[in-house]
Amino acid sequence: MNSRRIFAVAYKEWREIVRDRLFLSLAFVVPVSLMLIFGYGINLDVEHIPFAVVDHDKSALSRDYLHRYIDSRYFAYQGDLASEREIGPLLADSRIRLAIIIPPRFEENLMAGRSVAIQTLIDGTFTFRTSSSKGYVIAINAAFNSELLGNYISQRLGIPLETAREMAQPVTAELRYMYNQEIKSVWSIATVLMMFVLMITPPFLTALGVVREKENGSIYNIYASTVTRGEFLIGKLAPYVGISILNILILWLMVARLFGAPFKGDPLFFFLASVIYVICTTGIGLLVSLLVRTQVAAMMMTVVVTVVPSVLYSGLLVPIASMDPAGQFEAHLFPAMYYTDIILGSFLKGVGMEQLWGKVLALLIYAIVLWTASFLMFHKRPKS
Amino acid sequence: MGQTSLVNDDPPVVRVREFVKRYRKLKAADGVSLDIRCGEIYGLIGPDGAGKSSLMKAIAGVLSFEGGSIEVFGQTIDSEAAAEKVKGRLGFMPQGLGLNLYPELSVEENIDFFAELREVTPVLLAERKRKLLAMTRLDRFLDRPMKLLSGGMKQKLGLVCTLIHEPDLIILDEPTTGVDPVSRRDFWTILTQLLRERDVTALVSTAYMDEAERFQRLSLMFGGLVVAKGAPEVILHDVPGTLVELTIAAQVDALVRLEKRFTQVEAVGSKIKVFVPDVTPQAASAQIQELLTGIKIEQIQVEKPRLEDAFIALLHRHHLSGKEEDSPAEMVWRDGVPPRGDGIAIVARELICDFDHFRAVDRVSFEVRQGEIFGLLGANGAGKTTVIKMLTGIRPPTGGAGTVAGADMRRASQSVKERIGYMSQAFSLYQDMTVQENLRLFARIYGVPGRQISERIDRVIQLAGLGPVCTQLAGKLPMGIRQRLALACALVHGPLVLFLDEPTSGVDPIGRRRFWKILVHLARVEHVAILLTTHYMSEAEHCDRLALMHAGKVIADDTPAALKTALEQEAGQVLDLAAEPVLSALEALEQAGFTDAALFGRRIHLLVKDVDEATARIRAWLSERDIRLLDITPRAPSLEDVFVYRILQQERQEATL
Repeated sequence: MNSRRIFAVAYKEWREIVRDRLFLSLAFVVPVSLMLIFGYGINLDVEHIPFAVVDHDKSALSRDYLHRYIDSRYFAYQGDLASEREIGPLLADSRIRLAIIIPPRFEENLMAGRSVAIQTLIDGTFTFRTSSSKGYVIAINAAFNSELLGNYISQRLGIPLETAREMAQPVTAELRYMYNQEIKSVWSIATVLMMFVLMITPPFLTALGVVREKENGSIYNIYASTVTRGEFLIGKLAPYVGISILNILILWLMVARLFGAPFKGDPLFFFLASVIYVICTTGIGLLVSLLVRTQVAAMMMTVVVTVVPSVLYSGLLVPIASMDPAGQFEAHLFPAMYYTDIILGSFLKGVGMEQLWGKVLALLIYAIVLWTASFLMFHKRPKS
Repeated sequence: MGQTSLVNDDPPVVRVREFVKRYRKLKAADGVSLDIRCGEIYGLIGPDGAGKSSLMKAIAGVLSFEGGSIEVFGQTIDSEAAAEKVKGRLGFMPQGLGLNLYPELSVEENIDFFAELREVTPVLLAERKRKLLAMTRLDRFLDRPMKLLSGGMKQKLGLVCTLIHEPDLIILDEPTTGVDPVSRRDFWTILTQLLRERDVTALVSTAYMDEAERFQRLSLMFGGLVVAKGAPEVILHDVPGTLVELTIAAQVDALVRLEKRFTQVEAVGSKIKVFVPDVTPQAASAQIQELLTGIKIEQIQVEKPRLEDAFIALLHRHHLSGKEEDSPAEMVWRDGVPPRGDGIAIVARELICDFDHFRAVDRVSFEVRQGEIFGLLGANGAGKTTVIKMLTGIRPPTGGAGTVAGADMRRASQSVKERIGYMSQAFSLYQDMTVQENLRLFARIYGVPGRQISERIDRVIQLAGLGPVCTQLAGKLPMGIRQRLALACALVHGPLVLFLDEPTSGVDPIGRRRFWKILVHLARVEHVAILLTTHYMSEAEHCDRLALMHAGKVIADDTPAALKTALEQEAGQVLDLAAEPVLSALEALEQAGFTDAALFGRRIHLLVKDVDEATARIRAWLSERDIRLLDITPRAPSLEDVFVYRILQQERQEATL
């Protein structure tokens, strides 16, 4: 290893990047915009579901029932309809996602002790939102039922309302959310997005940077000179790792300040783990660049090898534990999952080295394997 | 063997034996053997696909190969590790104008990077940088980003970067292709000077046949084979024959007769050149006069054959020339009576095209008549392609006007556009379709009526000699035939005006001649107006009229003969001399006031008004300085002489403004 040659390659690369305005902005603007677009775009909280009602009863009890929806922050009341016929067009237009139909003589039947069915129509096109809506409807309905029952018991037995309600609902679930008390999905999403962005941008930049040199022929300067393979790879990639380290800090700041996720762990540990992670993802870009000849091919391949695993097998959308065994196995093959655990641990759980050393080790092994493979695949005397 | 034993005692710097290189199924080099001696400039000459680049890369240790052996400085290059051992003594410049340089870095940063990579000490670097930059006249542009240099300057910078660690063997892959002739001359002078100063060996490839005389020894390559090797004189000696140059009014009739007898017949502008193998000049001239009885010969002249004639004769001898198709001169091709050759087909008036930060085309004007072959000659980046794009309506001009077939191309209707044919530089062929399918597609695109399609296709197939390959895929065709298919596609709708953008770049000499045969037929028999661009000086001789383009401007516009006459009248005749040592002679001549003296291989060219007076003065001047004058003869100027003179004239004018 000759440090002068490494420095020569790194310095040349750095100046090329800095002079190439497009490339430079790509290096910093893209990660930030990805963070902003996905951070604000993916909101998994379902609130303000627009709904309308058809109230054939128009009694005090029916209004009481409906107000439970109207007053809820999960639903947004859009108005009363005269008949069921008006529901169809509104649902089809997506102006409402839910409609509630109160049958005639709702109050009268209930008071007479007869059960009543309330027809509730839910837009089923987005299954995730549909199941949330269904959950809210069932919960509101159950609360109404238990109140009615409580009232009835209290009247019948002549005991206080409080006691009657407790009798009607002997078991209650007491929930407490750990690590993310307000269950704000943006906290979990912004932190995991950091994994996503650092998975995609370093390989992109690296693959483009190396393939560019292959594509226009300046790689022959390297092939024909006495610089060794190792010297070239280290010098060439050092600026890209440097850019990615800057990006770690920028994204960290965004997650903490812009999206307000609390950082509870050890900053030094998290920083070092993140550096290992970007060295690892830079290695993915290097490997891609050695397999292809053109910048276009490099971009396509980088998308395939980074976006898919980081979206599907990182725990970003589906928890690893809920995957089938094959999926879990695949998830363990990609570095994204380990870093997701490190991020969530450092930000929300406040755990450090003692709990996460295994994950860091996995990333480190990953980085070593990638770089070694690249070193072995890079030849200064290729076949074509 | 005896007379060369002195040189042969040294082991060769490079020894190649039975070199074979394959890219999957394609054989790029098939049993190449050669020796390169210490201190010589060794040339590899051949068209694209001859295997030159593969061989050079293998010697430079940057490409592995499948068969044979290569030794460099006595080291067998058989593994990556073995190649590394000699890389410190090598300099390699790959093909492509400035492609191995870093566009965002300045001239100086580029040089510094190469120096750092090669661990040149700062003291040595400063000294070499000063010397090389002065030599290449790049010292004024130290801080300019490489991407803003002209093609010639890029190439000189590439040379500086390759030489900065003072390698013992330099390998330059097509360093002069597409470079303007002045930069090309500079390039060769610098190279020769450097080689004389130190014991450096150079391996240089070129696609230009007329650069052969710059090499001590060379290999002519074709299709992965070495067709001939040795000193240029030796190769010429192996192919005896005479070149006969004829001026005949009834050119077509003469061509028909000559082609029945001789394989190497060429129409060059108003002249016909015939290579008559194996006979003395007298016999050759007699043979031709007998053959042409009844046709009036205005002028007949015999010349020494050029290397290109020898190359073609060798290809025929080795049966590498492919099948001869029927001569197009006998065919009648378009319906009806072709328009007679007086109308003006193309007019360019004060055409201007500005790109972001520079003017690519600067007030270009010319006219092309029906039935005329008009050439735009210039280096890469001179603005040739942009002119064609403006005339064909692909790019709107910033200023000026262009009319084609009587219509302004900016507002021309589809029907006018259908009367012109355009063959672009990048192949527009569909590689996965057969020859016939390509032609059918282009016929439909150009709106040939359905009933006529088959007939038209048959005619262009016959014209371009594509009969034997009709059902083959376009992508599988060799370069020369693909070029003819592209031409056929541009012709399928029977256009009156034809635009060809570098149609023969990289094509072998036989392929080029066949291509030209078709063009001459189109112009002479069908009276099609042809506008083409080229960077081959030798090819420009074929044009009826020429416009020399340099840095966006037309710097001269006339027939090739008139351009040469004008040069002789303005600047005098070309003196061609050989002297020993040649570099001292060059320096002495410059001191004597012959500022335009230029190195041409091992010879020197200069322009003089009075041949006798100058000859006497040079003899005296050189003998005073103990420089041996081997011979000195006046010579007809070449187009390259014209071009160089006009570029320098233009630069002087601009400098005084």
